[in-house]
Amino acid sequence: MIFENLKVDLDEIPLINSADFEPLREDYLYMRISSRLLLGLFLAGVGAIFSLFAKLYFGYWLFPLLALILMTILYEPQAFKVKGYLLRSHDISYKSGLIFFRQTTVPFNRIQHCEYSQGIMGRLFDIASVKIFTAGGSTSDLNIKGLTKENAMKLRDHISKLSSAHE
Amino acid sequence: MNKLKLHHPQHQSVLGIGVIFFSNLRKAFNFFLAVVFVNLGTSFRILGLGLEDWALILSFIFLIFSYLQYRKFTFYINGDNFVIEKGLLSQEKINVPFARIQTVNSTQNIIQRLLGVVGIKIDTAGSIKNEIEIPALTKLHAQQLSEYLMERKYELHEEGQEGVQEQSEEASSNRSNLRLDAKPILELKLKELLLVGLTQNHFRSGFFLFAVINGYLWQFEEYLLKPFESYLEETAESFLAQWILLLPFAILAFLIISVLASMIGTALTHFRFKFFLGQDGMSMSSGLLAKNTYNIPFEKIQYFKWESNPLRALIGFYTLRVKQAGSEVLNDRKLIGIPGIKKRSLVEVLNRQYPLRKAQAYRSFAVNKLLFFQLSLWIGVLPVLIAVLVNIFLLKSILIYPLALLYLLVVLFFTFRYFQSYRIKANLDFIMIKRGWVFPSTLLIPNFKLQNIRIKQSVFQKRRSLASLQLYTAAGGEALIHLPLIEAQELYNYFLYCIESSNKKWM
Repeated sequence: MIFENLKVDLDEIPLINSADFEPLREDYLYMRISSRLLLGLFLAGVGAIFSLFAKLYFGYWLFPLLALILMTILYEPQAFKVKGYLLRSHDISYKSGLIFFRQTTVPFNRIQHCEYSQGIMGRLFDIASVKIFTAGGSTSDLNIKGLTKENAMKLRDHISKLSSAHE
Repeated sequence: MNKLKLHHPQHQSVLGIGVIFFSNLRKAFNFFLAVVFVNLGTSFRILGLGLEDWALILSFIFLIFSYLQYRKFTFYINGDNFVIEKGLLSQEKINVPFARIQTVNSTQNIIQRLLGVVGIKIDTAGSIKNEIEIPALTKLHAQQLSEYLMERKYELHEEGQEGVQEQSEEASSNRSNLRLDAKPILELKLKELLLVGLTQNHFRSGFFLFAVINGYLWQFEEYLLKPFESYLEETAESFLAQWILLLPFAILAFLIISVLASMIGTALTHFRFKFFLGQDGMSMSSGLLAKNTYNIPFEKIQYFKWESNPLRALIGFYTLRVKQAGSEVLNDRKLIGIPGIKKRSLVEVLNRQYPLRKAQAYRSFAVNKLLFFQLSLWIGVLPVLIAVLVNIFLLKSILIYPLALLYLLVVLFFTFRYFQSYRIKANLDFIMIKRGWVFPSTLLIPNFKLQNIRIKQSVFQKRRSLASLQLYTAAGGEALIHLPLIEAQELYNYFLYCIESSNKKWM
């Protein structure tokens, strides 16, 4: 047959359900909060130097900084609840964003390559991420964060195997 | 294949020295322009040598440098890879697997034309970052090489299939391997060329020119303004007072220069523009100073977009953009645009590529009013608010209020028209987006060309249970904004189903 055009039953198309998403590891939340606290500490150090040597009123940097830290501590746990990934037999999805929610799905037959990465903070908390690249722009690429190193490597191998099967 | 002797490292045509020399010279010219300009008129001497002597010496050095660069530039085949080695000071080796080659295009800038050589560019869809260009080959060699590369690429794809040999032999009589029609579907004669130039988006070319000139002049600003400095200071106040008088003239001058710029630009880039349609793809060639040929196999085309503007609509011209999977350079809108195409030819192109695009009925999706509110807020209300605030605290002029009101009304009108023109239609195999009232554009994406999907929902959308979809193809992304959440999810799931169930070659 040269051309085949089967009827598609729209009710039988598999749906992505946000309840099916796996939450990220809780350590990822602690890692994010602590890396932001470290950044805050660094900024406080810079501010303190200015206060000591340039006689800057300490309230100018301390209060905004405290407000920012408070916001981080309030915001991050809420945002963490939204984050999650979903591995299905033909694609992988990631969702995030408390204020601007976004959910991206990349089918395996469109993946160019994928890689595993772990930062300095990630090493302390045993958190790694898997980056998935597609053709074209970099805006469409997917970064699945908050996995254990072991899981991230497993996931990368799994995706690599499935995506190369399509070539 | 044997006559190409590609298993040994090969050099370019000897004339390549000239091409490399002139491209070095141009870079050097940009670099030394400031030095020359500053010392213009003054007696310039370093180590007892004048400007001309230095130019001569530098040219000689460049010539030797170019010769060495030429000697170091080789290309050959290593297993299933095409390899280019180049670089004098830092050596580079670029490996291009045949399977990664998307298309091979030929280019000819003015120097290459004068020397009678052809450059070829290998496009790899961005999987290899470096620019892969062989700047100087004889015409015959370039043709053989690009045919050979494409042949090897297809051989890899269709390994084990019979008839490849036959096909490639037949194709080699046709210079692009695409089995093109003998007659071009579109050929821009002088009259059409002028019409296309005249109906360009003049503001864009005007601003572009302005930006280029501005960029060039910036480095010499100090020297350019110096002679006028005293004059400027004296008349600064009267100048400010007269700006209202000068403005119409400035606008007129801007318009005339913009029109001229776009006419010249069109004449240069689209001179002798020919657009061929074929069995396996399309090809276009054009250019007065730089002659470029682009070959696009059908499977490389991700989607089509055609657009118009009020002037073009009058004479029934469209610009067809062929969105190709490829590196950024090739996606440059200027290069793969087909200007001055009539509706009939446009439909022919679409029919050839997607004969079944109307096989099923299209279903419309409504875009929410939020689009209109957001646009008018960002473009209309906020700027007006800022202007009014600035006026209250700084300028204190009464004139601003009627102007602000007028601006607001105009913005509301245009954003409403834009909102009304925004149409999304989809059937089982295609998605079509129409938008724009002043600059209408339509795009047609086959579902299986999509590569990933993103759904987005901001807090503002959540309240109204709306969501936006972002569709990504290998040639870039397109957005479907402010759809009802249910429909957005439905499309999201359906598109994923289309991608995952498709076995068609998509890139």
